Amino acid sequence: MTPITGIPLSPPVQPSLPVQPASHPVGAQPFKNVLLEALGQVNTMQTQANEAVQQLVTGGDVNPAEVLTTLQKADMSFRMMLQIRNKLVQAYQEINNIRI
Amino acid sequence: MISALDISTSALVAQRIRLDTVSSNLANLTSMSRDENGKMQPYQARFVMFQTDEELETKHGAVGVKVSSVETENVEPNYKYDPNHPYAIKDGPKKGYVAYPNINMTAEMVDALVATRAYEANLGAMELSKNMAQQSLRILG
Amino acid sequence: MLPNLFAGTTIPALGEVLNFAQARHTVLAGNIANVNTPGYRLRDLNEAEFQQRLKEVMTHTGGHDARSTSLAAAEPGNPMRDVRQSLENLIYHDDTNIDLEKQVAEMTKNHLLHNFALTVMTDQFKLLETAISERV
Repeated sequence: MTPITGIPLSPPVQPSLPVQPASHPVGAQPFKNVLLEALGQVNTMQTQANEAVQQLVTGGDVNPAEVLTTLQKADMSFRMMLQIRNKLVQAYQEINNIRI
Repeated sequence: MISALDISTSALVAQRIRLDTVSSNLANLTSMSRDENGKMQPYQARFVMFQTDEELETKHGAVGVKVSSVETENVEPNYKYDPNHPYAIKDGPKKGYVAYPNINMTAEMVDALVATRAYEANLGAMELSKNMAQQSLRILG
Repeated sequence: MLPNLFAGTTIPALGEVLNFAQARHTVLAGNIANVNTPGYRLRDLNEAEFQQRLKEVMTHTGGHDARSTSLAAAEPGNPMRDVRQSLENLIYHDDTNIDLEKQVAEMTKNHLLHNFALTVMTDQFKLLETAISERV
Protein backbone atom coordinates (compact mmCIF):
# COMPACT_ATOMS: atom_id res chain seq x y z
CA MET A 1 0.00 0.00 0.00
CA THR A 2 1.50 3.22 -1.12
CA PRO A 3 1.09 6.35 1.04
CA ILE A 4 -1.34 8.99 -0.19
CA THR A 5 0.55 11.59 -1.90
CA GLY A 6 -0.71 14.96 -2.93
CA ILE A 7 -2.46 15.19 -6.25
CA PRO A 8 -0.35 17.28 -8.47
CA LEU A 9 -2.37 20.10 -9.92
CA SER A 10 -1.56 21.16 -13.37
CA PRO A 11 0.27 24.47 -13.35
CA PRO A 12 -2.13 27.47 -13.21
CA VAL A 13 -3.29 28.58 -16.63
CA GLN A 14 -1.08 31.29 -17.98
CA PRO A 15 -2.52 33.66 -20.49
CA SER A 16 -1.00 32.93 -23.81
CA LEU A 17 -0.95 36.59 -24.80
CA PRO A 18 -0.18 39.57 -22.63
CA VAL A 19 -3.38 41.34 -21.59
CA GLN A 20 -3.88 44.80 -23.11
CA PRO A 21 -6.51 47.36 -22.27
CA ALA A 22 -9.26 47.53 -24.94
CA SER A 23 -7.92 49.91 -27.62
CA HIS A 24 -9.57 51.35 -30.73
CA PRO A 25 -8.77 49.87 -34.08
CA VAL A 26 -6.93 52.34 -36.23
CA GLY A 27 -9.31 54.96 -37.77
CA ALA A 28 -12.37 54.55 -35.53
CA GLN A 29 -13.67 57.09 -33.05
CA PRO A 30 -15.78 56.95 -29.96
CA PHE A 31 -19.47 56.62 -30.85
CA LYS A 32 -20.27 59.91 -29.17
CA ASN A 33 -18.05 61.79 -31.63
CA VAL A 34 -19.67 60.07 -34.56
CA LEU A 35 -23.11 61.15 -33.38
CA LEU A 36 -22.08 64.76 -32.70
CA GLU A 37 -20.44 65.03 -36.09
CA ALA A 38 -23.54 63.71 -37.81
CA LEU A 39 -25.74 66.22 -35.94
CA GLY A 40 -23.45 69.02 -37.06
CA GLN A 41 -23.72 67.88 -40.67
CA VAL A 42 -27.51 67.77 -40.52
CA ASN A 43 -27.52 71.30 -39.11
CA THR A 44 -25.20 72.53 -41.85
CA MET A 45 -27.46 71.07 -44.51
CA GLN A 46 -30.50 72.77 -42.98
CA THR A 47 -28.70 76.13 -42.93
CA GLN A 48 -27.62 75.68 -46.54
CA ALA A 49 -31.17 74.89 -47.59
CA ASN A 50 -32.52 77.96 -45.78
CA GLU A 51 -29.93 80.17 -47.40
CA ALA A 52 -30.67 78.79 -50.84
CA VAL A 53 -34.40 79.53 -50.44
CA GLN A 54 -33.64 83.03 -49.17
CA GLN A 55 -31.42 83.71 -52.15
CA LEU A 56 -34.08 82.54 -54.56
CA VAL A 57 -36.90 84.69 -53.17
CA THR A 58 -34.71 87.80 -53.03
CA GLY A 59 -33.92 87.53 -56.69
CA GLY A 60 -30.57 85.79 -56.49
CA ASP A 61 -28.95 83.99 -59.37
CA VAL A 62 -29.78 80.47 -58.25
CA ASN A 63 -31.50 77.62 -60.05
CA PRO A 64 -34.90 76.64 -58.60
CA ALA A 65 -34.27 72.94 -59.23
CA GLU A 66 -31.05 73.14 -57.25
CA VAL A 67 -32.85 74.83 -54.37
CA LEU A 68 -35.49 72.11 -54.32
CA THR A 69 -32.86 69.37 -54.36
CA THR A 70 -30.97 71.01 -51.49
CA LEU A 71 -34.19 71.27 -49.52
CA GLN A 72 -35.06 67.64 -50.07
CA LYS A 73 -31.58 66.49 -49.07
CA ALA A 74 -31.82 68.50 -45.86
CA ASP A 75 -35.27 67.05 -45.18
CA MET A 76 -34.12 63.52 -45.74
CA SER A 77 -31.03 63.78 -43.54
CA PHE A 78 -33.13 65.34 -40.79
CA ARG A 79 -35.62 62.51 -40.90
CA MET A 80 -32.80 59.96 -40.91
CA MET A 81 -31.29 61.58 -37.83
CA LEU A 82 -34.68 61.61 -36.15
CA GLN A 83 -35.15 57.91 -36.84
CA ILE A 84 -31.68 57.11 -35.49
CA ARG A 85 -32.49 59.09 -32.36
CA ASN A 86 -35.76 57.19 -31.94
CA LYS A 87 -34.00 53.85 -32.23
CA LEU A 88 -31.35 54.89 -29.70
CA VAL A 89 -34.00 55.97 -27.21
CA GLN A 90 -35.84 52.71 -27.75
CA ALA A 91 -32.67 50.71 -27.17
CA TYR A 92 -31.97 52.65 -23.97
CA GLN A 93 -35.46 51.96 -22.71
CA GLU A 94 -35.11 48.26 -23.45
CA ILE A 95 -31.89 48.10 -21.54
CA ASN A 96 -33.56 49.92 -18.66
CA ASN A 97 -36.26 47.29 -18.59
CA ILE A 98 -33.85 44.38 -18.11
CA ARG A 99 -34.64 42.86 -14.75
CA ILE A 100 -31.53 42.01 -12.84
CA MET B 1 -33.85 86.56 -63.66
CA ILE B 2 -34.23 86.16 -67.38
CA SER B 3 -35.62 82.75 -68.09
CA ALA B 4 -36.77 80.64 -70.99
CA LEU B 5 -40.26 82.10 -70.58
CA ASP B 6 -39.03 85.65 -71.25
CA ILE B 7 -37.20 84.54 -74.36
CA SER B 8 -40.25 82.73 -75.73
CA THR B 9 -42.37 85.78 -74.97
CA SER B 10 -40.05 88.04 -76.95
CA ALA B 11 -40.47 85.69 -79.90
CA LEU B 12 -44.26 85.75 -79.56
CA VAL B 13 -44.32 89.55 -79.57
CA ALA B 14 -41.98 89.72 -82.59
CA GLN B 15 -44.02 87.24 -84.62
CA ARG B 16 -47.21 89.11 -83.84
CA ILE B 17 -45.70 92.37 -85.09
CA ARG B 18 -44.63 90.52 -88.24
CA LEU B 19 -48.19 89.26 -88.71
CA ASP B 20 -49.44 92.81 -88.18
CA THR B 21 -47.31 94.11 -91.04
CA VAL B 22 -48.55 91.32 -93.30
CA SER B 23 -52.14 92.27 -92.46
CA SER B 24 -51.31 95.87 -93.19
CA ASN B 25 -49.83 94.95 -96.58
CA LEU B 26 -52.83 92.83 -97.52
CA ALA B 27 -55.29 95.50 -96.41
CA ASN B 28 -53.55 98.14 -98.52
CA LEU B 29 -53.40 96.25 -101.80
CA THR B 30 -54.82 99.18 -103.71
CA SER B 31 -54.07 102.11 -101.39
CA MET B 32 -52.42 105.34 -102.23
CA SER B 33 -51.31 108.31 -100.20
CA ARG B 34 -50.21 111.82 -100.90
CA ASP B 35 -46.54 112.47 -100.26
CA GLU B 36 -44.92 115.78 -99.25
CA ASN B 37 -44.89 117.10 -102.81
CA GLY B 38 -48.60 116.56 -103.10
CA LYS B 39 -48.20 113.73 -105.58
CA MET B 40 -50.14 110.51 -105.06
CA GLN B 41 -47.78 107.66 -104.23
CA PRO B 42 -48.82 104.03 -104.14
CA TYR B 43 -48.54 102.11 -100.90
CA GLN B 44 -45.20 100.36 -100.52
CA ALA B 45 -45.08 97.06 -98.64
CA ARG B 46 -43.72 97.09 -95.12
CA PHE B 47 -41.49 94.39 -93.72
CA VAL B 48 -39.93 93.80 -90.30
CA MET B 49 -36.28 93.33 -89.42
CA PHE B 50 -35.60 90.84 -86.63
CA GLN B 51 -32.57 91.17 -84.44
CA THR B 52 -31.25 89.40 -81.34
CA ASP B 53 -32.13 91.33 -78.22
CA GLU B 54 -28.93 91.67 -76.20
CA GLU B 55 -30.81 92.88 -73.14
CA LEU B 56 -32.62 89.58 -72.92
CA GLU B 57 -29.59 87.35 -72.50
CA THR B 58 -29.39 84.57 -69.92
CA LYS B 59 -26.27 83.54 -68.08
CA HIS B 60 -25.57 80.70 -70.47
CA GLY B 61 -25.92 82.68 -73.67
CA ALA B 62 -29.53 82.13 -74.70
CA VAL B 63 -30.75 85.37 -76.22
CA GLY B 64 -34.16 86.77 -77.17
CA VAL B 65 -35.42 88.43 -80.33
CA LYS B 66 -36.77 91.88 -81.04
CA VAL B 67 -38.10 93.82 -83.99
CA SER B 68 -35.34 96.32 -84.70
CA SER B 69 -37.23 98.29 -87.33
CA VAL B 70 -40.12 98.22 -89.74
CA GLU B 71 -38.76 99.00 -93.19
CA THR B 72 -40.59 100.14 -96.26
CA GLU B 73 -39.86 98.56 -99.56
CA ASN B 74 -39.08 100.56 -102.61
CA VAL B 75 -40.22 98.70 -105.69
CA GLU B 76 -41.62 99.84 -108.96
CA PRO B 77 -45.37 100.29 -108.72
CA ASN B 78 -47.87 98.54 -110.92
CA TYR B 79 -48.93 100.79 -113.75
CA LYS B 80 -52.40 100.57 -115.27
CA TYR B 81 -53.67 102.66 -118.12
CA ASP B 82 -56.68 104.71 -117.04
CA PRO B 83 -56.54 108.32 -118.33
CA ASN B 84 -59.87 109.25 -116.75
CA HIS B 85 -58.78 108.29 -113.26
CA PRO B 86 -58.36 111.33 -110.96
CA TYR B 87 -54.92 110.09 -109.93
CA ALA B 88 -53.62 109.42 -113.43
CA ILE B 89 -50.18 110.83 -114.16
CA LYS B 90 -50.57 114.13 -115.98
CA ASP B 91 -47.38 114.25 -117.99
CA GLY B 92 -44.17 112.48 -118.76
CA PRO B 93 -43.56 109.08 -120.35
CA LYS B 94 -46.21 107.48 -118.14
CA LYS B 95 -48.99 109.88 -119.04
CA GLY B 96 -52.41 108.43 -118.43
CA TYR B 97 -51.19 105.60 -116.23
CA VAL B 98 -52.19 105.12 -112.59
CA ALA B 99 -49.56 103.75 -110.20
CA TYR B 100 -50.92 100.95 -107.99
CA PRO B 101 -49.06 99.22 -105.16
CA ASN B 102 -46.98 96.28 -106.23
CA ILE B 103 -47.68 93.78 -103.46
CA ASN B 104 -47.27 90.08 -104.06
CA MET B 105 -50.26 88.61 -102.29
CA THR B 106 -48.97 85.04 -102.44
CA ALA B 107 -45.68 85.97 -100.85
CA GLU B 108 -47.49 87.86 -98.10
CA MET B 109 -49.80 84.91 -97.34
CA VAL B 110 -46.83 82.55 -97.13
CA ASP B 111 -45.15 84.99 -94.78
CA ALA B 112 -48.28 85.01 -92.64
CA LEU B 113 -48.25 81.20 -92.51
CA VAL B 114 -44.61 81.13 -91.48
CA ALA B 115 -45.24 83.71 -88.77
CA THR B 116 -48.16 81.64 -87.46
CA ARG B 117 -46.11 78.46 -87.34
CA ALA B 118 -43.29 80.25 -85.55
CA TYR B 119 -45.83 81.63 -83.06
CA GLU B 120 -47.18 78.15 -82.39
CA ALA B 121 -43.68 76.71 -82.02
CA ASN B 122 -42.83 79.32 -79.40
CA LEU B 123 -46.09 78.65 -77.62
CA GLY B 124 -45.12 75.00 -77.46
CA ALA B 125 -41.73 75.93 -76.01
CA MET B 126 -43.45 78.04 -73.38
CA GLU B 127 -45.75 75.17 -72.44
CA LEU B 128 -42.75 72.92 -71.95
CA SER B 129 -40.90 75.48 -69.83
CA LYS B 130 -43.96 75.87 -67.63
CA ASN B 131 -44.33 72.11 -67.39
CA MET B 132 -40.72 71.63 -66.39
CA ALA B 133 -40.96 74.18 -63.62
CA GLN B 134 -44.16 72.67 -62.28
CA GLN B 135 -42.85 69.12 -62.42
CA SER B 136 -39.68 70.07 -60.62
CA LEU B 137 -41.85 70.74 -57.57
CA ARG B 138 -42.28 67.01 -57.40
CA ILE B 139 -38.72 66.82 -56.07
CA LEU B 140 -40.27 67.75 -52.77
CA GLY B 141 -42.64 64.83 -53.02
CA MET C 1 -40.80 81.06 -27.43
CA LEU C 2 -43.82 80.10 -29.43
CA PRO C 3 -43.82 83.06 -31.86
CA ASN C 4 -40.15 82.41 -32.50
CA LEU C 5 -40.87 78.83 -33.39
CA PHE C 6 -40.82 79.86 -37.06
CA ALA C 7 -37.99 82.34 -36.78
CA GLY C 8 -35.30 79.90 -37.77
CA THR C 9 -37.09 78.78 -40.91
CA THR C 10 -37.91 80.64 -44.10
CA ILE C 11 -41.65 80.52 -43.40
CA PRO C 12 -42.21 84.27 -42.75
CA ALA C 13 -40.33 85.28 -45.91
CA LEU C 14 -42.21 82.73 -47.98
CA GLY C 15 -45.49 84.01 -46.58
CA GLU C 16 -44.63 87.49 -47.81
CA VAL C 17 -43.72 86.12 -51.23
CA LEU C 18 -47.13 84.46 -51.38
CA ASN C 19 -48.89 87.71 -50.51
CA PHE C 20 -46.96 89.59 -53.16
CA ALA C 21 -47.65 86.94 -55.80
CA GLN C 22 -51.37 87.02 -55.15
CA ALA C 23 -51.53 90.81 -55.24
CA ARG C 24 -49.54 90.91 -58.48
CA HIS C 25 -51.86 88.31 -60.00
CA THR C 26 -54.85 90.59 -59.58
CA VAL C 27 -53.02 93.53 -61.17
CA LEU C 28 -52.01 91.46 -64.19
CA ALA C 29 -55.52 90.05 -64.52
CA GLY C 30 -56.74 93.63 -64.59
CA ASN C 31 -54.36 94.36 -67.47
CA ILE C 32 -55.70 91.44 -69.48
CA ALA C 33 -59.27 92.45 -68.75
CA ASN C 34 -58.57 95.93 -70.13
CA VAL C 35 -57.04 94.74 -73.37
CA ASN C 36 -59.55 96.67 -75.48
CA THR C 37 -59.97 99.73 -73.31
CA PRO C 38 -58.89 102.87 -75.16
CA GLY C 39 -56.34 104.94 -73.33
CA TYR C 40 -55.39 102.20 -70.87
CA ARG C 41 -51.76 101.99 -69.79
CA LEU C 42 -50.20 98.86 -68.36
CA ARG C 43 -49.81 98.50 -64.62
CA ASP C 44 -47.52 96.19 -62.71
CA LEU C 45 -46.19 95.63 -59.20
CA ASN C 46 -42.49 96.17 -58.93
CA GLU C 47 -41.01 92.74 -58.29
CA ALA C 48 -37.40 93.93 -58.10
CA GLU C 49 -38.34 96.45 -55.42
CA PHE C 50 -40.13 93.78 -53.41
CA GLN C 51 -37.13 91.45 -53.55
CA GLN C 52 -34.81 94.27 -52.50
CA ARG C 53 -36.97 95.11 -49.48
CA LEU C 54 -37.21 91.46 -48.52
CA LYS C 55 -33.46 91.08 -48.68
CA GLU C 56 -32.90 94.16 -46.52
CA VAL C 57 -35.33 92.99 -43.87
CA MET C 58 -33.87 89.52 -43.79
CA THR C 59 -30.29 90.66 -43.39
CA HIS C 60 -31.17 93.16 -40.67
CA THR C 61 -33.41 91.06 -38.52
CA GLY C 62 -32.14 87.62 -39.49
CA GLY C 63 -35.53 86.73 -40.88
CA HIS C 64 -37.29 87.22 -37.58
CA ASP C 65 -39.63 89.91 -38.72
CA ALA C 66 -40.37 89.69 -42.39
CA ARG C 67 -43.79 91.13 -41.72
CA SER C 68 -42.63 94.68 -42.23
CA THR C 69 -42.23 94.04 -45.94
CA SER C 70 -45.86 93.15 -46.31
CA LEU C 71 -47.85 95.22 -48.72
CA ALA C 72 -50.43 95.81 -46.03
CA ALA C 73 -47.84 97.44 -43.80
CA ALA C 74 -46.36 99.61 -46.53
CA GLU C 75 -47.62 103.18 -46.58
CA PRO C 76 -49.22 104.50 -49.76
CA GLY C 77 -46.15 106.53 -50.66
CA ASN C 78 -44.00 103.41 -50.71
CA PRO C 79 -42.75 102.60 -54.22
CA MET C 80 -43.61 98.97 -53.70
CA ARG C 81 -47.23 99.79 -53.20
CA ASP C 82 -47.60 102.06 -56.20
CA VAL C 83 -48.59 100.24 -59.30
CA ARG C 84 -45.93 101.03 -61.83
CA GLN C 85 -47.10 102.45 -65.09
CA SER C 86 -45.08 100.87 -67.82
CA LEU C 87 -44.06 103.07 -70.73
CA GLU C 88 -41.84 100.62 -72.52
CA ASN C 89 -44.29 99.17 -75.00
CA LEU C 90 -45.50 100.52 -78.31
CA ILE C 91 -48.60 102.64 -78.20
CA TYR C 92 -51.28 101.41 -80.54
CA HIS C 93 -53.86 103.40 -82.44
CA ASP C 94 -56.50 103.11 -79.72
CA ASP C 95 -54.03 104.64 -77.25
CA THR C 96 -53.27 101.43 -75.37
CA ASN C 97 -49.88 99.82 -75.01
CA ILE C 98 -50.74 96.27 -74.11
CA ASP C 99 -48.91 93.23 -75.45
CA LEU C 100 -51.17 90.34 -74.57
CA GLU C 101 -48.44 87.73 -74.78
CA LYS C 102 -46.25 89.64 -72.36
CA GLN C 103 -49.03 89.90 -69.79
CA VAL C 104 -49.82 86.19 -69.98
CA ALA C 105 -46.13 85.37 -69.71
CA GLU C 106 -45.75 87.58 -66.63
CA MET C 107 -48.81 85.93 -65.13
CA THR C 108 -47.31 82.50 -65.79
CA LYS C 109 -44.04 83.43 -64.13
CA ASN C 110 -45.92 84.83 -61.17
CA HIS C 111 -47.95 81.64 -60.96
CA LEU C 112 -44.82 79.49 -60.94
CA LEU C 113 -43.26 81.62 -58.22
CA HIS C 114 -46.44 81.32 -56.16
CA ASN C 115 -46.56 77.54 -56.49
CA PHE C 116 -42.91 77.25 -55.64
CA ALA C 117 -43.25 79.37 -52.48
CA LEU C 118 -46.37 77.44 -51.48
CA THR C 119 -44.75 74.03 -51.91
CA VAL C 120 -41.61 75.01 -50.01
CA MET C 121 -43.64 76.53 -47.20
CA THR C 122 -45.80 73.41 -46.89
CA ASP C 123 -42.68 71.31 -46.80
CA GLN C 124 -41.21 73.42 -43.99
CA PHE C 125 -44.39 73.08 -41.97
CA LYS C 126 -44.37 69.32 -42.43
CA LEU C 127 -40.77 69.18 -41.25
CA LEU C 128 -41.60 71.13 -38.10
CA GLU C 129 -44.52 68.81 -37.50
CA THR C 130 -42.22 65.81 -37.85
CA ALA C 131 -39.82 67.28 -35.33
CA ILE C 132 -42.58 68.05 -32.85
CA SER C 133 -44.35 64.72 -33.10
CA GLU C 134 -41.12 62.68 -33.25
CA ARG C 135 -42.85 60.48 -35.76
CA VAL C 136 -40.78 60.17 -38.92
